[in-house]
Amino acid sequence: MSRIKTTHDVFSAIGEPKRRVLIEQLVLKEMTVNELAVAMQWPQPMVSKHLSVLKQVSIVSERKDGRYRYYSVQADQLRPIQEWMHQFEKYWGSSMDQLDSYLSQIQVKGDDSEH
Amino acid sequence: MSTDTITPSEITREFNAPRQLVFDAWTKVKHLNNWMFPMPGCRCEFVSADISNGGSSLHKVTMPNGHQMWLFTKYEEVTSPEKLVFLQYFSNEAGDIVPMPHMPDWPKDMLATLLFEELSDDTTKLTFLWEPRDPSTAELAAFEASRADHAKGWGAGMEQLRNYLESI
Repeated sequence: MSRIKTTHDVFSAIGEPKRRVLIEQLVLKEMTVNELAVAMQWPQPMVSKHLSVLKQVSIVSERKDGRYRYYSVQADQLRPIQEWMHQFEKYWGSSMDQLDSYLSQIQVKGDDSEH
Repeated sequence: MSTDTITPSEITREFNAPRQLVFDAWTKVKHLNNWMFPMPGCRCEFVSADISNGGSSLHKVTMPNGHQMWLFTKYEEVTSPEKLVFLQYFSNEAGDIVPMPHMPDWPKDMLATLLFEELSDDTTKLTFLWEPRDPSTAELAAFEASRADHAKGWGAGMEQLRNYLESI
């Protein structure tokens, strides 16, 4: 498979709201450009344009069947996104749970703050 | 996507502790080593710490499974007991900043601003703001895309996507 030079990575690819809508459609089942255009009521060139970006970053793959091309989501490519979504809330939110229990612990022990 | 102003991600928490103590917990190593990790069973070790205006620190978080993470922090403002501003980076053990694998567009500079507010003698409100500093267009898109609360069309469908990812 030849690698297309691209300025997109996974994150910039999904930075465009229309492409997120496409991903959401394709998560449910594989579809052709036509089916997508009908489902979303977008002009077909618009669907093709966004699909090609998603293909470049391998979020979406293409399967040829006769004269139809079916598109589907490559879930593995979305893992980094899932991991990073909520990163801030998860990491710092959980760290603050630790801080909370640490603070109650030392205050019970009477280890006072410095002034 | 064109967004001119960045809306920081925000966490607010209230702690049953005096403001000075909450602030010290973020700025004194004797406290930091005891809590600054995301889950019980981790260990935190600050190997260097100059937590002052313009200073920096390097610490290591060891996860329960043994995985180690080095974090380098540059402090822009340390105003006891009300405000702390820092930039934090993944680094190696020498404190050299390392880029995040697979994420060329993740913002290089993530700025954290912490505001400590005294609610009473022994209650403190902490507001934690997190935002990219001077992001490129691609970095801003990456930051926005990573936010759960952001964007129409990334809501209910996102839930499906998450369920799907968990099911495979």
